[in-house]
This record gives sequence, structure tokens and C-alpha cells, in this order.
Amino acid sequence: MRVQIQGIGCVGAFGCGRNDLAQALARGGSPVQMVPVGPGTNGAGMPALLADTAPLSNFLPPRSLRRIDHFSRMALLGAYLALDDAKMNDLDRSRLGVIIATGYGATQSTFRFLDSSMDHGDICASPIHFSNSVHNSAAAHLSILLHATGPSLTISQFEMSVATALLCAMQWLKEERVDAVLVGGVDECGPVLAYCYQQFFGKPNALVQPFCFSEQTAVAGEGAAFMLLTRHDQSAAPLGLIDTVTLSHLCAGPPDLSNDVWLVLGADGQRCCGEHYAKAASSSTPAAAFAPVWGSLPVGQAFDILAAALMLQRGFDFAPYLNAKEGPADPTVDALCAKPIVCLKCGSHGEYGRVKLVGRF
Amino acid sequence: VAVTGLGCVSAAGANLTQCLETLFKTGCLPGPPSRFCSDHPQVHPVFEVPDAWLPDDTDGSDGLLRTSRLALAAAAQALADAGWTAKGLHRLKVGVCLGTTVGSSLNNEPFYRQYRIGQHPDMSAIKAYLINSPAAVLARGYGLAGPCQTVVNACSSGTDAIGLAAEWLRSGVCDVVLAGGADELSRVAYNGFISLMITDTQPARPFDRARKGLNLGEGAAVLVLESEAIRHHRGQRARAFVLGYGAACDAYHLTAPSPTGEGLRRALTEAIANSGKSFADLAFINAHGTATPDNDRVETRVLGELTPQVPFLSTKGATGHALGAAGAIEAAFTIGCLEMGQVPASIGFCVSDDGALVQPLAQPRAFTKTMAASQSLAFGGNNAVLILGKGEVG
Repeated sequence: MRVQIQGIGCVGAFGCGRNDLAQALARGGSPVQMVPVGPGTNGAGMPALLADTAPLSNFLPPRSLRRIDHFSRMALLGAYLALDDAKMNDLDRSRLGVIIATGYGATQSTFRFLDSSMDHGDICASPIHFSNSVHNSAAAHLSILLHATGPSLTISQFEMSVATALLCAMQWLKEERVDAVLVGGVDECGPVLAYCYQQFFGKPNALVQPFCFSEQTAVAGEGAAFMLLTRHDQSAAPLGLIDTVTLSHLCAGPPDLSNDVWLVLGADGQRCCGEHYAKAASSSTPAAAFAPVWGSLPVGQAFDILAAALMLQRGFDFAPYLNAKEGPADPTVDALCAKPIVCLKCGSHGEYGRVKLVGRF
Repeated sequence: VAVTGLGCVSAAGANLTQCLETLFKTGCLPGPPSRFCSDHPQVHPVFEVPDAWLPDDTDGSDGLLRTSRLALAAAAQALADAGWTAKGLHRLKVGVCLGTTVGSSLNNEPFYRQYRIGQHPDMSAIKAYLINSPAAVLARGYGLAGPCQTVVNACSSGTDAIGLAAEWLRSGVCDVVLAGGADELSRVAYNGFISLMITDTQPARPFDRARKGLNLGEGAAVLVLESEAIRHHRGQRARAFVLGYGAACDAYHLTAPSPTGEGLRRALTEAIANSGKSFADLAFINAHGTATPDNDRVETRVLGELTPQVPFLSTKGATGHALGAAGAIEAAFTIGCLEMGQVPASIGFCVSDDGALVQPLAQPRAFTKTMAASQSLAFGGNNAVLILGKGEVG
């Protein structure tokens, strides 16, 4: 059963919301900032693509955000923007499900919780940081603030988190457990992650080069990308429909990338996954990759899907990313509208998640 | 959806048979944590699984963490019980859907302690974290190529994982799914739950008037869920059936359940509707029963209003609260009780709350009905319920 993307919302280094994302996609990237790597590193930092959640004040009073951490704030902003974008004011919140995909969870709250016991003893461990460190805290904040009393689910499967979340969303809609699902990916970047990048990869990069498959060019990113999904009622779907979600492993054969689709690769400069993308991109299928806009993060596929939805809505105007090493291609709007878009995310152990979107105008 | 195999390890036993024996006969007491220290002035006892019950880790060369080992132990039992070999699964669409909390947390204390004082810790702890996603460990271990999903819905993770896995089978996404949960005791969770002031310094007393909180536990349970087409082709007996699943969120508070129990009420109602049966068909309900004052009050209220005639119990007095594994362990116990036709007393219970509409089982009870519910409440206001049916007589 196909499901319809009713609205999208996002926050990342590019800004927030549909227009900021579209502009950054057209521009070809987002501003890079520096994240401190931590004690003992002489103030050196690592480049990263960071998200600012200040616009959340357009939706929620500061008082309601007092005890909510950055991770959950990104989720809240993405979710509120998606709901706003969908303009479904009559949505029954008791029939609204929430699914959050995250690679690493709320790591900064986790480390703040550890700080609280390491600084002052176990007896002073902070209950607030502990609460925020639990993986499903963002989904809980979302459900509470949106009064969404349908099922709430958080999934953590590194790069496969988004595809599995979408699979569940489609099941819920198919079984009519819910009328709509707010599904999104969230991950954050902080000093410990920056330290890990430094230790694993050495010299920092300032620009993700997604088509340099054999090189490590990842720049850590953070953000949230949400979509509001409903069953498709045969009406026009400007942001497209999610047709199928396939999760499998290369040991069972390569993903289906027939020639009649456009391909959005989740390639984000992580060399460990590069060879899988290289094989996918070597087919005659036109391929794009947009990671320079939001950076490298496990839930990057959520942003890929939002970009694909915008491609369907606007026609393809993000040519700089097409097979970048060979120079921009020149696809036409008509050609794009006639073809589905497949968003492919590969994990480092050969697993992959394939999400196919189709247009319906 | 048929359950063709069961595996379970908890402080109550190395397998389901031992666990049930503990529940019905011997009981089990928590003790001070032996694998980590804490500077809390009082000991908060825990239910630990002996190392001898886990797969061999003589040299630690496989890099697997304890949660993964617990999951592997339960999965090996479940697959053997179902009559599957790894090779036999390779030609099928086999998924893995496991719940956890600790197993997905990036919270290695030795690493972070070194990091924050600038000692440049090596990356072994991070590498271990990256290869120990519990669902991926099982998928890699058995060479499975289907969907692989780790559910991190706090204390309802195991229940949700089984319910979601059943949906995969109903919709044809998979032929077989390994579903359940796994979690280990950790110092971080120990400190966290104490900071929330919901742990007891005595053995937990679920539903008892004098209850003061939970004891943490650890363990894993894995169910082999199988499509009817595959099961009939193999001529495999169903030990049980997943008949229904319901889930709803309180949308009330981050750490406390809604006092009205509205989310639990909806989850129970949805699950029973999903099963096509009625509450009157339930032989018993395996409640969440953590022994925290709030949780047990809400569950008692909802069960008293919705299912006043249905016996209920908590098994956490014999296992502790195994967090992301709890729902799966309790689903396995529920199936074991359905097979036995009897249910144990609620360990730790003596006297009910003043004004409680219902009280848990104070004595074991035999029954003839063929279905039961297993329910979980969780951090964040999650509520999840499974309706499980008795399988075919072997």
C-alpha cells in the first residue's frame, strides 16, 4: 500500500523548513561550523554541520522547553514544521502515531548524565539528564506536546533506522492502527562525536564529497527531518507517495535499481559504505547525493527522502549533485516527473534500505 | 501469527523451563550488583544472570557485549526449539526485531571518564558499541538478510518488538522473524533509576501496599515467529500464537504514567480488538507490575475497570525489571503458563492497596482458557499489550 507524504519539516545546517532546504539544495551546500573536540585538544575543533533550534519559539513557549534537550528540540522543530506544512488542522491526535529513527540517540544528554555522577558522586546523578538520555525521550516529548495519543515508537538501527521506521509507519497505516504517522529521523553532533571522528578519520574535511566513494570525506552533521504520512486517498500528492520500503542485505543480492528510476544515494563521505554506493552508481541510473547540505549522520536518509519529495514537487532543480565527478547532468522536469525516485542507504556491513517514491499530480 | 520456538534467559533461569520452575516453586531473590560498584550509601539489589548461562566468552575476541550475549543465548534456544538451523533460514526472508535500552546506549563510562580529562581514550569502546546493536548481532550471527530493527521504546521495547514483528509476518514482509528483547544490567541505568527514586532497597513487591520501587534485572527472550505457509510446509507445531497487539501513548509525562491509565486502557482495548476476542476470553494477564507506586496503582485501576474478573500477576519479583527485555521475557512466561494451564502467584504480593478494585494472584491458579495478555508500560508514556494464544498440543 502506498502512503502519501502530506507535509515535511526539517532542521539542519541549512536552516529549517521546506524553503530553506530547497534553497540549500539548489545552492549546493550549507555553512560549516567548528565543534570542540574536547579536553586535551588545545582548542582544536572539527568541522560539522550544526542545527539551530531557535525557530522552535514560533511553535512553543520557552517555558515548555525548559527541561528539553537539544536532541528533542530538533525533533520537535522538525515535527511541528511537518504538521504546519501539511495544513491538516482537523487531524485527530488520538489517531496520530509517532515514529522516531535515530542512529545514536540523545548522546549529549547521556554524557551530561555521566558528568553529573562523575563530578559529584553517584548520589548526585541527574534525573533530568537521565530522562532526556533515554532513547525514546524525543518521541515522548513529541507525543506530550502534540497530545498525540496513538502509538509511539523509537528505532535505533544506525543507517537503517529511517528505512525501518518507514516500514513500521506503512504497516500502521495499512492495518489502520492510525490515520496519520509523524515519522522522522534525528541525530545530534557534539564534542564526543567530534573526538570520535578525529580518532577514526584523522585529518578533518570541510566538505562532504559523496561521489568520492573511495575517500573518507564525511563531515559530521546533525538535524531532524520529518514527514507526515497518511494512507493515499487517490487525491493529488504534490510531495509524492512512498511506494515501497525494502530492507535487505547485499548477501541476498543487490538492491533493485532498474533503469526507470532516479536514484538518491545516501552516500555521505563514509568510505566504509563507499563501495556499495559505487556499485549502485555505476548503473545507468541517474544518481544524486545531497549530503553536503546536512552532513554525515546515520539518519541522513530522512533528509534524502525530503529532498526526493521536493524533487517530485518542484521538478529536478538540484543538478549540482548529479554524478558530481562527471559534471552536472541536465535532466528535464518532464523526465523526472515520469520516473520514480529511489533513496538508497547502505550500512557498513552490507545492509541496505531502499525507499521508492513516486509522483502523483 | 505462530510462535514455533522460544528462548529465554533471566535471573530466574537459564531457559524457559527453569524460569517457570522458579516462578512456581523456588522463587528467586535479588542481591547486590556484583559486576559494578556504586557509591550510593544503600545497596539497591538487582537480579543478575550468572555468566555461566551465557555463550562462552573465554578470550573476548568477538567483541560482543553482554546484551548481545544474552540475545544470542535466547536466540540459540529459540531456533533449536523451532527446529531451525542457520543454513535452513538462508533461503528465506528472515527478519530480526529486538527491543533493548542499554544495548543501544552510547554510555561507556571508562571511555568517557578518560575523554573528559583529556586522556585520549582509544576507540575500542566505540567500536564495540557500533557492532553490538542487538538485532544486528543476531542478523550477522545467523546470516539473515531480512529487515533488522532494534526497538528502543524503553520498558515496552520487548513487547513492541514482538507486536511489530507479527505485523511483518501478516503483511508478507518476512517468512520468519526472530523477535524479542535483550538487556544487561549497567551502572548507568542503575544510577539513573536510583536518581528517579523508583528503586527499592529490598526485594521488589509488585502490587503490594508496602511496595517502594523496582529492582533492576537483566536477560533476554527470543520468539521465533513464522508464517503459516512456512510452518505448514515444515509440519512444525505452533507453541503459541500472537493473536493481537495494541499500543498507545499517554502523552502525559516523561517518566510517570497517566494516573487515569488512559493509554493503557486504549492499548488493551486495541489489542483485544486486534485479536478478534473479548476480555472474557483471557485466562490471565501478565501485568507490567514493576512495584513502583505509580505504575502498579495505574495498572490496578485499569485492570479493575476493564477486566475485573481476569486474574493478573507480575513476574518481576523473580526476574527484576529487565527493561528492554522485560516484555519479551514476560511474553515467554505467558506462553509457558498457557502451555501448563496454570499461572503462578504474583511474587512479592501480600496486601493490596486501600481501595484497590482488584488484587493480583496470591496463590497459583489453574485455568482452562486458551489465551492471555502480556502488557508493558514504559518511560515516555508508552503502553503496549500482546494477546497470546495457546498453541497446538504436541
